[in-house]
Amino acid sequence: MNMNDRLKLIIGGLVVAFVFVGVGVFALGFANETVDAIERLFGASEWETWFPPLPGYALPGFEGNAVASFLVALGFTGLVLVVTLGTMRLLTRRPKGQGKPSADDHPLSS
Amino acid sequence: MHIPDGFLSLLISAVLWLVTVAFLVVAFWRANRTLDERRIPLMATLTAMFFAAQMMNYPIIGGTTAHLLGGPILAITLGPFPALIAMTIILTIQALFFGDGGILTFGANVFNMGILGTFIPFAVFALFQKPKPKRERILVGAFLGAFLGDVAAAIAAGLELGFSSTFPYGPVIAVLAMGLHHSVIGIVEGFATVMILLVLYEVRPDLLPVLAAAPLASGPSSTAEKELL
Repeated sequence: MNMNDRLKLIIGGLVVAFVFVGVGVFALGFANETVDAIERLFGASEWETWFPPLPGYALPGFEGNAVASFLVALGFTGLVLVVTLGTMRLLTRRPKGQGKPSADDHPLSS
Repeated sequence: MHIPDGFLSLLISAVLWLVTVAFLVVAFWRANRTLDERRIPLMATLTAMFFAAQMMNYPIIGGTTAHLLGGPILAITLGPFPALIAMTIILTIQALFFGDGGILTFGANVFNMGILGTFIPFAVFALFQKPKPKRERILVGAFLGAFLGDVAAAIAAGLELGFSSTFPYGPVIAVLAMGLHHSVIGIVEGFATVMILLVLYEVRPDLLPVLAAAPLASGPSSTAEKELL
């Protein structure tokens, strides 16, 4: 895969992610997961061990503002991409002479 | 399926932290030794896509909602260890920045969604490819793997909740509640996994080693496949 193909792949993936974020924030944003239901039904309660900066994917002061949530979600989607790229580049950095693994590192490669 | 802090006993949380760290050490070690850097853009793109996909909540049973996990397709396209790393990155950002899943329960969440949610789909998928991959085996293996992976992750979460002293109703109720709801999620995840595999096959079969080795159609149908041939 050359540089052009890699860029196309990443841009294509980001376009799909953009659509997912849009649908997620503007159309399918309401979340009531099984664990939330268990919390209400059976009386379990959360501990406050950590105070996240963006609780519930909302920007403080802009709770309920879908556009702000959309921008936050987009920004963090980009962050996930960068963190994964960076982490894996660091992990796969190998000393000179050690060589690269073949393209067939996937366990199901023939 | 993200378990918040306070839902699991400290002992269960600690044990699952240890198990998860052990798996992650092996995953990082394997990535360092065997991961081809040419697969990194695919890995990063899929990780970002499934971080975004987890924001789409669809209704299931009794007013509850669910979202795709993404572990199955990550495991099939990347292999289970890179998929575990990808899921860990997603879960870390969700827990640290959004409070989606706890810190003490982080080990349990990675164990359920990152380990069971990737290794089981991969094992089932791989099982279906023997002795030789075929179209039906690839699609059925992907669907069943995704379904069983999601259900296994949910049952594990139910057992963890049920055996925690903080949950008063025991493992049977917790497993039933989690398993029933997440079997619906598993079906949706199965269809989504098959659809994504079909789309990837159409546009970039070279990114899917097993599909490149065993074309789903009788002849080359896409530009990328023609280029390969």
